[in-house]
Amino acid sequence: MVSMIYILYICMFVPLLLSIPLVGRSSRNVTIFMLLGISSALFISEVNGLLLTFFKDDIVFVTTTITPITEEIIKALPVLVYAFLFSDNREKLMTISFSMGIGFALFENTYILIQNIDYISFGWALCRGFATALMHGLCTAAVGYGMSFVRKKRKMFYCGTFSLLMMSITYHGIYNMLVQNTTYKYLGFVLPLVTYVPLVIGVVRGRMKLDKTVTEAKAVSTAKAVSTDKDKK
Amino acid sequence: MDLYLIANIFTLVCALIGFIWGGILFLHPRKALYAQMITLALGCIAFGRLFNVIRLLTGGSITERFQLGFFGMVGSLMFFISSNYGAIDSLIDDGTKKFKKYRAISIIAPCVAIILYLVLFIAAGEPKLWKILGGILTAFIVFSSYFHLKHIVFPDVEFGIVKFLRPFNAVALLYDIAILVECSAMGRENNKVMIVSTFITGVFTALLMPMVVRGVRKWYQ
Repeated sequence: MVSMIYILYICMFVPLLLSIPLVGRSSRNVTIFMLLGISSALFISEVNGLLLTFFKDDIVFVTTTITPITEEIIKALPVLVYAFLFSDNREKLMTISFSMGIGFALFENTYILIQNIDYISFGWALCRGFATALMHGLCTAAVGYGMSFVRKKRKMFYCGTFSLLMMSITYHGIYNMLVQNTTYKYLGFVLPLVTYVPLVIGVVRGRMKLDKTVTEAKAVSTAKAVSTDKDKK
Repeated sequence: MDLYLIANIFTLVCALIGFIWGGILFLHPRKALYAQMITLALGCIAFGRLFNVIRLLTGGSITERFQLGFFGMVGSLMFFISSNYGAIDSLIDDGTKKFKKYRAISIIAPCVAIILYLVLFIAAGEPKLWKILGGILTAFIVFSSYFHLKHIVFPDVEFGIVKFLRPFNAVALLYDIAILVECSAMGRENNKVMIVSTFITGVFTALLMPMVVRGVRKWYQ
């Protein structure tokens, strides 16, 4: 089973890698960050294995306290590099960071699926899809969203980045703790959706507002151009 | 129900209300960056407390080993530093000798934090883990409290920005001290001090957002 993770990785990585030169520019970043997400999931699986041994197989402590730290740091690093070197555009950052998180979750889900193939059900798939994958995407997206604020001023970059990481680490820890508990696991499954819905509403409303402003600005400029033409005539 | 759990739920509710309120008011483009940072600080506090609450509800302990709830405290302090140092400090302090006196006075707050750490953690003989955690917390409180006190005592002659935020900075300074006391009580597993300090932290947390809203509103008047 140890080598299975690498086989799975190759199966997912290679087609996506080959698609990079063919896809459009806007999709390229998404694909690249999904690839990075998949690669970081592979890397973290090895790290988590070592950590579990180090903490004497205390799964509850490791999954609720240690793995959120390692996973969030690894997922956030490429986003931080992108924000630092290429762009601090909020939409771009949120897109790539969400892709990173989803890539990570895709690989993690697939690996858990092949490990527990006999116990898998539709319920499992729905929980992994709507809860775990969404949680990974949201945690990384939070770092990406915050980066657009904190890079406005270099003084705020370092503190802001670390504090956002801490926020997403804590959120990840809360989720892991909830889903492992028999009484509160359903709260855990709902938590990412409860966070996701207001976020989507906010983003959609923001886009609609922006579109409205652009349309109004265009209408004003067209009206001005028409009146200038009339004056000239 | 355990009183410490209730105290944590109280602080969680206070932080969550502040976070949602701040989110509605400030987490949009072209809004005051300072207030956005404070909103995120409240988010950090809320998540940290939520972690503690769930840990306690699921029968776990938050004093035996390191827990992620601690990141809520540290994260909030980092956002306070970001907001005061990153967003506002350069607007009021040009670094000239004229304001040297105020900078010197501001050092009192970090000194108090360090003394508190020495008394509460080192002299009191806290366990090693809590000495380290207390040290980390103190390091961030040193920076955070310096700017809080600085923005309380600074004259703010040119822009009139900081004077409206004095009540907020005073509350945030008290919040810094309260979490340090709570952290030391957690290390010693002193239940009474833990409960009292958590309730006090909750009260200060509840006051943070109203103070920021009031201050920022006055900027535009």
